[in-house]
Amino acid sequence: MLTNREATLDELRAHALQIRRNVWRALHAAGSGHMGGSLSAADILAALYFHHLRLRPSEPDWADRDRFILSKGHANAALGAVLAQAGFIDDAVLDQFYAYESLFGMHPDIKMAGVEMSTGGLGHGLSIGLGVALGARLQNKGFRTIVMLGDGELQEGSNWEAAMAASHQKAANLTAILDYNKVQQSGHVSEMLTLEPAPDKWRAFGWAVREIDGHDMDQIISALDELPYVEDKPSIIIAHTVKGKGVSFAEDTHLWHNNMVPDEVFEKAMAELGEPA
Amino acid sequence: MSAASTNPEWVAKVQNQSRLSFGLAVTDMAARDNRVVAISADTLDLIGLREMVAAAPERVIEAGIAEQNAMGMASGLATTGMRPYLCGYAPFITARSMEQLRNDVAYANQRVVIGAACSGIVLGVSGGTHHALEDIALMRSLPNMTVMVPADALEAWHLTQATETLDGPSYVRIGGKFDEPAVTAVDASPTIGKATTLRRGTDVTVIACGCMVVEALAAADELASEGIGVRVLNMHTIKPLDRDAVLAAAAETRGIVAAEEHHLTGGLGGAIAELVAEEHPTRMRFVGMPDTFATVGPTRKVREKYGMSAANIAVKCRELMG
Repeated sequence: MLTNREATLDELRAHALQIRRNVWRALHAAGSGHMGGSLSAADILAALYFHHLRLRPSEPDWADRDRFILSKGHANAALGAVLAQAGFIDDAVLDQFYAYESLFGMHPDIKMAGVEMSTGGLGHGLSIGLGVALGARLQNKGFRTIVMLGDGELQEGSNWEAAMAASHQKAANLTAILDYNKVQQSGHVSEMLTLEPAPDKWRAFGWAVREIDGHDMDQIISALDELPYVEDKPSIIIAHTVKGKGVSFAEDTHLWHNNMVPDEVFEKAMAELGEPA
Repeated sequence: MSAASTNPEWVAKVQNQSRLSFGLAVTDMAARDNRVVAISADTLDLIGLREMVAAAPERVIEAGIAEQNAMGMASGLATTGMRPYLCGYAPFITARSMEQLRNDVAYANQRVVIGAACSGIVLGVSGGTHHALEDIALMRSLPNMTVMVPADALEAWHLTQATETLDGPSYVRIGGKFDEPAVTAVDASPTIGKATTLRRGTDVTVIACGCMVVEALAAADELASEGIGVRVLNMHTIKPLDRDAVLAAAAETRGIVAAEEHHLTGGLGGAIAELVAEEHPTRMRFVGMPDTFATVGPTRKVREKYGMSAANIAVKCRELMG
């Protein structure tokens, strides 16, 4: 018999698999899209929406909800997938990815239920999240704010303004999760403009740092459950991930950062993303 | 009883400095609305926030010299129901953080009020890096944005207070120390989006904003002695533009002179021209900064060099009479 934790982990893994399938479904409907960075985030999003965040899908504007901001907005296919699975939006919306007048475009739109901020320009989310966290503190509210960052995104200097400000403000109610999949649009991050030593940089900016395998559900939920790591510091989970995780031909290559999804590619991907054993 | 003793306390405190008007008005609003929060980009003294630091320190967030983060934080605060007033230097809080301003504030339609001090050529001796002569164009090109240009320190107070009525983002373009007599009454109540008529002439109209309003009045006085009746409108709100006032001027006078401390591209004059070109074509002349970066020098002298003066407004009015 499975222990409760093992059952939870299995359930979250199933949600993550479903996110991946829904990402490909949305991209297939659109004809193309950012699969690499959507798939690398899938396990973390499953843990956030089905384990960690306090949300009311039927009441998306509930004042005391936890806030999740997808700063790496180009992974919106994954956000849409998890919002559909959690019940914020209708499942049919996934087939409206990139559609004319759809609220489900390439990047998140605050007008869609469950989306906390319109993002897409890189290097915006952490500042916004800090403002949200300070708003919570000023109003004595206990909700938590989580911002998912991309690795290439961290090349934008605005992140480091926000990183300085968050530790200066002792914003322990703010958490960043770095989806560190090591690949950006034109190549590997280490070759384009390296972030290393990434953990040291965040520590130097005054953050509490934890490194995990961003595809190991056990590590993900432990990292989330134990927040905040230090009483008066913002926390960052540096999640080592694989770009395009779950579909062999899309893994660890910039070629599948954003690519076309004709029928044969879709079918090949879905074949690899079979139902859980 | 002297005028000073009948004026409210804030009039003496602002010392004819529009930038102090903004901070003191925010402090005043914060005392009656605990949602009001000020964000400073190293502008506590510049904008007059020291009293608020003393009265409500938790609601003054010092962002440091980091405008991009300040703008994003303001947006995030607004999503939680707070009412952020973001205080910065006009050249930096617009151009430096323009993407945050466009995406996080305007596109996401968050109720952030931006107080932009030292606009135009207020920092004349600082040189072109510190002049803000394109900010009206940038701000009025953004959907959802309300753009205000107070004519003096008194109007800066009133318009800042008037932002309480707004639901979306807004920009208050703040000038510098105002040595001329105020054109705004201490107890004025300007309405956002509604021009104030300061002279009722019917020969030609000057539509001015900011520091050019007092120059327009001086030009009107000069032209009155020549028998030319000049209508003077203080267009303190550039967006939404007061269509009725502009179209009435186009219909009832021989032409419109637009006067602003801003590039001739994309500012008040452009906004007026866009409207009348479609709805009531009329002759126009433009007073403002030509397509060059301004030289270093004392503000007033630099303005005059490029034609931003009562004398040049009068020249343009005479052209329209011919």
